[in-house]
Amino acid sequence: MQAVNSFLVAMGRGVGGVVGALYQAGREAIDQIIVNILPFMAFIALVIGIILETGIGDLIANALAPLAGSVVGLIVISLICALPILSPLLGPGAVIAQVVGTLLGSTLIAGGTIHPSLALPALFAINPQVGCDFIPVGLALGEAEPETVEVGVPAILFSRMVTGPIAVILAWLASFGLYADFAG
Amino acid sequence: MLDFLVWLAEGFIGLFIAGGDVFVSLVTGIVPLLIILLTFVNALIALIGPERIDRVGEWAARDGAIYYPIRYILLPFLATFFLTNPMAYTMGRFLPEKYKPAFYDAAVSYVHPPTGIFPHINPGELFVWLGIAAGIETLGLSVVPLAVRYLLIGLVVIFIRGIVTENITNVMWARRTATAKAAV
Repeated sequence: MQAVNSFLVAMGRGVGGVVGALYQAGREAIDQIIVNILPFMAFIALVIGIILETGIGDLIANALAPLAGSVVGLIVISLICALPILSPLLGPGAVIAQVVGTLLGSTLIAGGTIHPSLALPALFAINPQVGCDFIPVGLALGEAEPETVEVGVPAILFSRMVTGPIAVILAWLASFGLYADFAG
Repeated sequence: MLDFLVWLAEGFIGLFIAGGDVFVSLVTGIVPLLIILLTFVNALIALIGPERIDRVGEWAARDGAIYYPIRYILLPFLATFFLTNPMAYTMGRFLPEKYKPAFYDAAVSYVHPPTGIFPHINPGELFVWLGIAAGIETLGLSVVPLAVRYLLIGLVVIFIRGIVTENITNVMWARRTATAKAAV
């Protein structure tokens, strides 16, 4: 009887723990949706609405097509975004990367102007500045010494000048065969 | 005159009708999936216990070429998956100062590549991926092949980024120490 009792108690506790974790997880998920995701969706929806309705989209598409339509152009974009003067300015909240990504996606890729396989190198071309605005905070979260921050900030910024274009080239090489049967 | 005003008003409100349509399609198309996925992953992380990856952090701190993939692939992947942006960077505390900038560089560069499959990593910056992916969807193609390649190439990119930044950090540190000594 004692054994059965303790088994029941243990099982109840286990099930309770799992159910509690799941419920808490659901609560966190809803919080994330309301706090982080929906506001940005509203912003993006407004941007896309304006682009689609005003015809600005065609202008942007025409302006971006020569750059975003080829691997060389994408490498140029990544070099510009990785400039150590620009990258910390382009970084915050990844807003620039998200808006440019949405512009590329909703105009050039959706319109079939560039082949869908170029989406892979494009994802890296628009984002070599990721986290460049956040280096001192990120290093502080890792409990880095002030001296490490002084060396680390320029080291990361210069590194991006090299690794930004490399990422685009690697992604381009990896995009062979992607959506190969799309004729467009 | 009145016709012109009506035309103007129609154009004005048309922007927001179009934006609203985009918003509804985002909310009905993506948000339900996100809620369930976020709930699942949040529960998974709570049940596994994020503190378990601390041991990987201690492991990644060692010198030697063999530990490069652990420090710049495995650790950033686990850190971003379990701790998400921005808490992932706290894993840097296990590493010696000379590796901290490179680890931050690798980890922060991996907060977007997996978001096509694991959006919980960075729910506030989903549109780097979603913006481009929306274009692929408009073409009637599946976004999953692109998401998988983005995730995998991201690992290669952060590996290279970690190594390059580590070397640049070393060079700058040596130069800094040399000038400090010369000044004395």
